[in-house]
Amino acid sequence: MNTQEKLLTRNPRADMLVDLVELASGILLVGFLWTHMLFVAAILLGVTTFDRLSAFLDEYYLSYIGIPFILLVALVHIVVAGRRIPNKWKEQRIILRHSKMLGHTDTWIWVFQTITGMAILVLAGIHVWMVLTGWPIRAVTSAGRIQSFLWFYIILLLAGEYHAGFGLYRQFVKWGWINRHTIGAVLKTITVIIVALGAVTLWAFMRLGGAQ
Amino acid sequence: MAERLLTFSIFRYNPNTPEIKPYMQEYKLEEMPGMTLFVALNKIREEQDPSLMFDFVCRAAICGSCAMLVNGKPRLACKTLTKDLPSRITLLPLPVFKLIGDLSVDTGTWFRHMSLKTEAWIHTTREFDPRAREERMDNETALKIYEAERCIECGCCIAGCATANIREDFLGAAGINRVARFMLDPRDERSPQEYFEVVGTEEGAFGCVGLMACEDNCPMGLPLQMQLAYVRRKMAAAGLAARPQTRAC
Ligand code: SF4
Ligand code: SF4
Ligand code: FES
Repeated sequence: MNTQEKLLTRNPRADMLVDLVELASGILLVGFLWTHMLFVAAILLGVTTFDRLSAFLDEYYLSYIGIPFILLVALVHIVVAGRRIPNKWKEQRIILRHSKMLGHTDTWIWVFQTITGMAILVLAGIHVWMVLTGWPIRAVTSAGRIQSFLWFYIILLLAGEYHAGFGLYRQFVKWGWINRHTIGAVLKTITVIIVALGAVTLWAFMRLGGAQ
Repeated sequence: MAERLLTFSIFRYNPNTPEIKPYMQEYKLEEMPGMTLFVALNKIREEQDPSLMFDFVCRAAICGSCAMLVNGKPRLACKTLTKDLPSRITLLPLPVFKLIGDLSVDTGTWFRHMSLKTEAWIHTTREFDPRAREERMDNETALKIYEAERCIECGCCIAGCATANIREDFLGAAGINRVARFMLDPRDERSPQEYFEVVGTEEGAFGCVGLMACEDNCPMGLPLQMQLAYVRRKMAAAGLAARPQTRAC
């Protein structure tokens, strides 16, 4: 139904643009998350390598450009992807009942996608705040954080990688770039590798403290 | 093979008697070889409860009128064999569509609205000449169009879609598949921009979140993921190519 206010504020391209922003911000964040994991895993090559990498990123201002940029991208992603989450109690009840009845894997994955998304918002917020207040990043300070908050980091790792892996899977499905089952298997493999790397890294940080 | 005793738990509600709240009613029935839900429901109605409402026309997966939630999943009752189900079977009417009573829903109004909204007919400026020879279409295009045309409008993809369950205006996989069918058709002269007007919003291609419950529950096995993705890609290209229109004020 057309009305005056709808006609005059209509932007037919808005939904499409928002969808593309969701795609772009999501891909940037997945890229960041996987790079972040590789950087952090530098601890496996020793304390000096880790500290040197951190200092290098600092020296060339990469941290000072990268961190605000990623925070901005994350913020955009929260707004555009968050709008997909049903916010009315009634809708949430319909979705939950629907998912339970349907017993359909991809629908459940999406339900968890919204839950991990909200969890990441809180946990990553705390994580960024802890890192920034303990600046600069050094192996000793990181080890200290991980030893005090191991469970926190385990949950953040799992939620983050789950959200990233399946988020990417869903984009591939929606745009039809590659066969759904092939891409599902590939992304699951990558996610398992990254989570394993994350677990080993956490373990390395735990041991680091024990040696001191 | 020992025959099982099946228990059916069936949703009951009659909009003409709103004072009676919806409830589940149980029926017992002896299983027969090769029994479909169509046979079972008719036996229940004939032998146990003439008031039970449900729809069938073709009983051969052609008309699309018998879809219902079988143990929570959208299925065609005439195509579903009881031997593939546990001995306890729950039947609910499809969600999203207007409830006529018990297991019967009105999919017709929904699909008619969708056809009108997507203008599901060939748009052409060419005059039809009844005496001219029929024009040929290459086989590949014809097959692609036929693939989309296999939709029997049963509504399973709509019922299975989480988005359609909470957003009334969403065209769903059946609607987007319908648009894909006309996009593929060389006789339709609509421009990408004109299609964009129809499915370039969240009511169409960009409302889909890619859960694939549509594809996984389509009884005709339509390639819905690829149809949705095809329309999405086309619409993104059309939307990016278009200049934002200047407004009147
Ligand atoms: S992919 Fe999901 S959201 Fe899109 S139409 Fe199918 S079931 Fe609905
Ligand atoms: S696309 Fe499949 S599930 Fe959807 S209405 Fe058509 S036949 Fe039914
Ligand atoms: S009765 Fe026609 S599809 Fe089942």
